[in-house]
Amino acid sequence: MLRMNQLSKVFRTHMIETHALRELSMHVREGEFVAVTGPSGSGKTTFLNIAGLLETFTAGEYHLDGVDVRGLNDDARSRLRNEKIGFIFQGFNLIPDLNLFDNVDVPLRYRGFKAPERRRRIEEALAKVGLASRMKHYPSELSGGQQQRVAIARALAGEPRLLLADEPTGNLDSLMARGVMELLESINEQGTTIVMVTHDHELAARAQRNVHIIDGQVSDLDDGPRLAAPRPAAAAANPAAAVNA
Amino acid sequence: MAMRPIFSALMRNKAGLALIVVQVAITLAVICNSLFIVLERSTRVGRPSGMDETGTFTIDSLGFAADYDVRDTIHADLARLRALPGVIDATSTNTTPLTNGGWSTGVTTEPGRGVDSSGVQPAAMYFMDEHGLDAFGVRLVEGRAFQAGDVREFNQNTRIQSSVAILTQALADVLFPDGGAVGRQIYGIANDNQPVTVIGIVERLQVPWVGWTDVEQSVLVPAIQIDGNFSRYLVRAEPGQRDALMPQVEKALQDGHSGRLVRRMRSIEEARTRVYRQDHAMMSILGGTMVAMLVITGLGIVGLTSFWVTRRMKQIGTRRALGALRGDIRSYFQTENALMIGFGILLGALLTYGFNAWLMQNFNTARLPWPYLPMGALAMAVLGQLAVLGPASRAASVTPALATRTA
Amino acid sequence: MTRYYFWLATRSLRRNPVLTALMVAAIALGIGAAMTALTVLRGMSSNPMAHREDRVYRPQVDNWSANQPYDEQGNPPNLMTYQDSMALHNARKARRQAAMFPNFLAVEPANPEVKPFLATVLFTHGDFFPMFDVPFLFGGGWDRQSDDNNARVVVISRAMNDRLFGGADSVGRRLRMQGEDYIVSGVLDAWQPQPRFYEISSGAFADVEDVFVPFGIGIEKELTSSANNNCFSDPGAGYQAWLASDCIWMAFWVELEGAADAARYKDFLDAYVQEQKARGRFPRPLNNRVNTVAEWLAQQRVVGRDAQTQTWLAFAFLIVCLINTVGLLLAKFMARAPEIGLRRAVGASRKQVFAQFLTESGVIGIAGAALGLLLTWLGLIGLRALYGDTATGRMAELDAGMTAIVVLAAIGASLLAGLFPTWRACQVTPALQLKSN
Repeated sequence: MLRMNQLSKVFRTHMIETHALRELSMHVREGEFVAVTGPSGSGKTTFLNIAGLLETFTAGEYHLDGVDVRGLNDDARSRLRNEKIGFIFQGFNLIPDLNLFDNVDVPLRYRGFKAPERRRRIEEALAKVGLASRMKHYPSELSGGQQQRVAIARALAGEPRLLLADEPTGNLDSLMARGVMELLESINEQGTTIVMVTHDHELAARAQRNVHIIDGQVSDLDDGPRLAAPRPAAAAANPAAAVNA
Repeated sequence: MAMRPIFSALMRNKAGLALIVVQVAITLAVICNSLFIVLERSTRVGRPSGMDETGTFTIDSLGFAADYDVRDTIHADLARLRALPGVIDATSTNTTPLTNGGWSTGVTTEPGRGVDSSGVQPAAMYFMDEHGLDAFGVRLVEGRAFQAGDVREFNQNTRIQSSVAILTQALADVLFPDGGAVGRQIYGIANDNQPVTVIGIVERLQVPWVGWTDVEQSVLVPAIQIDGNFSRYLVRAEPGQRDALMPQVEKALQDGHSGRLVRRMRSIEEARTRVYRQDHAMMSILGGTMVAMLVITGLGIVGLTSFWVTRRMKQIGTRRALGALRGDIRSYFQTENALMIGFGILLGALLTYGFNAWLMQNFNTARLPWPYLPMGALAMAVLGQLAVLGPASRAASVTPALATRTA
Repeated sequence: MTRYYFWLATRSLRRNPVLTALMVAAIALGIGAAMTALTVLRGMSSNPMAHREDRVYRPQVDNWSANQPYDEQGNPPNLMTYQDSMALHNARKARRQAAMFPNFLAVEPANPEVKPFLATVLFTHGDFFPMFDVPFLFGGGWDRQSDDNNARVVVISRAMNDRLFGGADSVGRRLRMQGEDYIVSGVLDAWQPQPRFYEISSGAFADVEDVFVPFGIGIEKELTSSANNNCFSDPGAGYQAWLASDCIWMAFWVELEGAADAARYKDFLDAYVQEQKARGRFPRPLNNRVNTVAEWLAQQRVVGRDAQTQTWLAFAFLIVCLINTVGLLLAKFMARAPEIGLRRAVGASRKQVFAQFLTESGVIGIAGAALGLLLTWLGLIGLRALYGDTATGRMAELDAGMTAIVVLAAIGASLLAGLFPTWRACQVTPALQLKSN
């Protein structure tokens, strides 16, 4: 699904060079749930940005779902992002001036779906996160947990192959965080590959596999699938019900 | 780009929207009406007077000495002026176009003014001698010019004695719509019941009053007014000689008789500048206002849009992360701008015609012709797109990586 | 605290010099344009007889043609015939009355070094001077006897006195005009009513005449008005026929004792016109007026249409400039929402935030007012250059009163522009902004 080989990222100013990533290699298989951990400044966010095609890299190779992304121009990368990747941000990044329906609609618009198709997907995605009844509400009228679920619905609506989550529970209290986590796990169970960046080890422990980044390098490459942590069966069947925080 | 989400996002920012809409509306109303006035004035000041304007000037003489004989002086003055080198011709006259002062009368083709005023055409009267057509530099298109035998002297007690006259084409056309004015008789020149025969038609000679509706209805009368020790001469110089000639003419007249005042020597070009001064001033002021308003409104849109871009940086990054192309972001702001300008134009259309109605009611201005509004609207739309160009490009260059920044 | 707010304001404004310059320029341009136009409009619409508003009246009678009204608005003629103004004058039904018409006379100075020149002359009655409260530097006007006898007396303007007599008290001295000697009875002090309400047919904003001569002398010299002579029918040949005609060329003014007296005078006019109707004149329906100076100036539309249009446009421009400033201030203030939230969190009251931000608007206002005053001054110079010696050009002068209006308008306008953004800034709640988003 995601294959990085000897990836480097160097920030150059006229005075100094900063190595954000040093020859990082990583391989995420289809259907995996990988947690990327590491201390502040380790290069986690740079890794995520490159993985999500938000930033370019200086050297190395990166294949996303079989596509070599080197040399793709900005528009091609945007399209690839739109089709293959769903994003979940720490700060939710909902657009405050749009209601939930229109927020989930944003990536679908760029995909160029027709209106009935968009409507079906939006309603489905919002139903999946348990917010179908609040489509006309604005983000400011929701709790943090609900906002993050809208963001997840937005990420899911495009039916991406890869879900990139950046500290998805970082702005949430523990109860809400648990709900969001359970939702992600159920999404993963339905076949979507998830790469989650977090500095929370407890959270990371719930992923199938942990990758630890220190100083721009993978320090602990563990290729084997880890035994999945036990999850409540009810939550898996109906994730929305469990996280109604 | 999809309108509806942009529209609903706009509606969440009513204050900003209202500020731009009102600004655009007022600007539209002002530029439409100003442009209308400017073009109207420009047409007005561009009308030809029909006479030679570059070579001609007038000069007045007023005798005060006890032995002053105005009749003798006029004849002596004219002989002296015509003898000056560089003079094409000179005549005594009562006024010229572009002076806003002169005589008017009502001309009819029937004797006696009718019980109602129908059939009476307002006309300006120009008195001149047989050198008049040459001195004015008007073009005779039909009939003949004045001859020495046509010219009659008159004063307040004798009234106008002339029995022939020359009409402008415009006056001939309204008096004799079927043509054939030459040889026909008109009334109202000498007095209401005395016929005057039309002997010729000149192409054009404006009345002295630039504000007249029928601004080309003039009648040229072969007459010299001998009254009140006053005389006025119109002198026409050879091309390029006017400015050199003017002081010579002044001196020649002053030397001709010491018991008089020679004054108000003025070229017709100067008269034109003077009479249209307010129109030129109005055009400059309105032109300046239009430009200033467009600039201020444009800068205002740049300022507000820049601010909105700054405020929505994170949102733009998120959209880019979710797959928006740079072009999508640019067109988002361009569409948003077009929507706002569009509302401004709707409100502006009301203001435009409201202001026009006020001008019509108070100043008898004409109704604004319809093309002004669409042209003005187009100008506003272009202004808006130009103003949004910078901020929209800045928005388009926001990196998608901004979405993952927590600050 | 106020000093702290000023310090904060200047710091904030300096941090964003382009935006600050744009706001100051917008206010200054708007104020400059609006105040330039207002100065001219104010000059044109002033009433030089405001202090005698219930004393000085302009009678009008409608002697116009049976076939057509005098003008489209249905006003009576703006001038009077010789015979009517004489009849009304001689009836003496008002406290004071004066007829008048302008012309020129050639002045032959006693001093051979001053060349003969043409003076503007107003032929009028002696009541002119007390009726209009005309100030004299030396001497005074003339009495009724001088009117009746066509006495060769004159009142001259101060400028004329300076030119002919070197500014000395010339009362009793001789002035030679067109071969005749006149005795100076008085010298006007600086008197320049604008608009020159009493005789507007030769220019509502023209200068007061150089010389005032008893009315009858103008008639004796068989003069007509040099400004406007208007006939609806052929007056016939000769000056006597002219005097007996229905041609209009006289301005006629009366002094009355107030509104009730004006009503009485109106009845007198109506009775006079009825009497004339019986003699076959005045074919039109009764349409007589007794106007105050203000009514008269309004009816005659002394205020130029261009000046009015310009004032409207200039104020529209000011509104656009203010809206612009509102938008920019709003942007600036809302961009500082986190700062406001922080200030509120550390204990600033809503009132204190309000004061801080309104101070910032006020500083912009003061800068805008200063620059606006400068632009008004420049604008008036520009107007004088464009209009020259016309009504607008003459009115384009800044006086103390107008300067005060400009300064107050600029500061008021910018505070007004600052009010909404400031109010919005105060709505920021402390909690909302501390949350990171």
